[in-house]
Amino acid sequence: MRERDREIAALRRDRPCSRFVRTSVVLLALLALAGWLGSGFSPGVLTGERGRANALRFLGELRPWPLQEGVAVDQNAGTPAGPAGDLSLTWRWAARLWREQDAAALLNTLAISVAAVGLAGAAGALLALGAARNLACPCPFLPGGRSPGRGARLAWAGVVAASRALLVGLRAIPEYVWAFLLLALLGPTAWPLVLALALHNAGILGKLGAEVVENTDARAPAALRALGARRLQVVVAAIYPLAMPRFLLFFFYRWETCVREATVLGMLGMSSLGFLIAEARARNRYDEMVFHIAVAGLLVIAGEVVSALTRRFVRRA
Amino acid sequence: MANERAVSARDRARAVRHAACSALRPGSFEAANLVVLVAALAAWASLWHLELGAAGLAPGSGGMQLARDFFGAALRPALAPVADPDAPPWSLALQALRAAAMTVALAAAALSMAVAGGLGLGFGAAGVFGTGRVGRAIAAVCRVLALTVRSVHELVWAVLLLAAFGRDELVAAIAIALPYAGVLGRLFSEMVEEAPRDAADALAQAGAAPWQSFLWARLPRALPDMLAYVFYRFECALRSSAVLGFFGFPTLGYHIAASFENLHYAEVWTYLYVLAALVLAVDWWSGRLRAEARR
Repeated sequence: MRERDREIAALRRDRPCSRFVRTSVVLLALLALAGWLGSGFSPGVLTGERGRANALRFLGELRPWPLQEGVAVDQNAGTPAGPAGDLSLTWRWAARLWREQDAAALLNTLAISVAAVGLAGAAGALLALGAARNLACPCPFLPGGRSPGRGARLAWAGVVAASRALLVGLRAIPEYVWAFLLLALLGPTAWPLVLALALHNAGILGKLGAEVVENTDARAPAALRALGARRLQVVVAAIYPLAMPRFLLFFFYRWETCVREATVLGMLGMSSLGFLIAEARARNRYDEMVFHIAVAGLLVIAGEVVSALTRRFVRRA
Repeated sequence: MANERAVSARDRARAVRHAACSALRPGSFEAANLVVLVAALAAWASLWHLELGAAGLAPGSGGMQLARDFFGAALRPALAPVADPDAPPWSLALQALRAAAMTVALAAAALSMAVAGGLGLGFGAAGVFGTGRVGRAIAAVCRVLALTVRSVHELVWAVLLLAAFGRDELVAAIAIALPYAGVLGRLFSEMVEEAPRDAADALAQAGAAPWQSFLWARLPRALPDMLAYVFYRFECALRSSAVLGFFGFPTLGYHIAASFENLHYAEVWTYLYVLAALVLAVDWWSGRLRAEARR
């Protein structure tokens, strides 16, 4: 028995554990504690008498208006449209909202996300080539031979540093802040939203893409180099086919977030689902707001499904 | 080297082409090509649908002036308030740091709630309660719940909750915590399910209850991945918390919006730099932690 205890103690002693990880966990817990104590939370807003009353009133207003108490009044004409609780009226209400507002906004939201992630993918892939240390160097994949001059080494180090700094700056600013700034610069088209999403995601995809390029198997590129291929030829003939499947996994994962964010950026005032949500909120039409939120949620779920299917297709092949 | 030089340029080109063709063998590459093509077409069609041409990228004359003023201020961020010459020097920088602290505090508090919720949803979905009828029903409920809360963006949750309860920092934290709990729940359950089951099977054969083998065998296997992911979400929570400032909470976004609307671009840059520094610091922290935890 003592023998086994000692064995267990030895196993416990030798288990992998990192001081950095432990310190980090403690630090994060302390930050959370500080957040709870120092953010000025007042739980009264949720649990207090007024909070409960507010929430109940609000929940009542979330129901489609034909289902709310009293006589349902036609929102446009201001005349009674039918008895309260009329389900067919509710159906007509939803159908009209969908036809007149949500269908177009849904398409716009989707288009914003797809255009943005497309631009982000293209820009990110290009920047990734500059940020990958194994490619952006004087003699990629082919050690030995003539040793490169100091100037060439410095120039390539400069390319890597510039690409990485650009990527860092792009992804450090949240897309909402980008959109807010670009909207003032470019005026109310869809460009600010598309660009905002594209800039932030180009930063992320560029960083991930650089990691993918740096982790590609060096044998094929090295063979091509030994045959005399130039850098661009190596990229086209070896890096692209080897790295693209993995890059696509990240690309579609970022597209999922783009769909979510495209909804929200519309709140800044472009015709997307977020715009409808903000506008219904401004008119205090909470029933319509919840309808738009539900449509946006379904779009996000549909995006997740499409993305998961595509990623599986890429991974299986 | 001499050998290589002896090969004629034509032979070299042929060799490169040959190597390229062998790299182009069917398989993952063709699938990837197809997906890239479809994605590019979809992006082009989307730009066309939104009626976005290159001309729209050029700011108008007003936008041009604004762009000059705005980017001109990038290299001289304000340290004292622009409009108030009597304010002590550094007072704006201090305010930016205070806003940064608020951003971190809100993000951390929100994340703590999200982790609690995510653990509940994730463990439920991963089958803590066994594979009986009840266990499966609980797993399904947890999965649907996680899907529902995470399909709504945190800013939309903020709009909803603000309308219901009014403005309070706790409301902001809950708005972040709800979708994050859904995301964490999904990832936690995936990580637990993908972790090796050897130890869990051994415990189960020794007569452990489902929750026991879960707690002592399946969970420890997945813990490093879960921890790494929590730190990644902290980085995201920081961004969300900053952006919630646009809805009136005293985080960095609030000051960015206020200074921008007052045309104090030098102040905007101060806040932007502080935000970028904050995000990058946490980015480095979570990156290092991911590397350590996965070792």
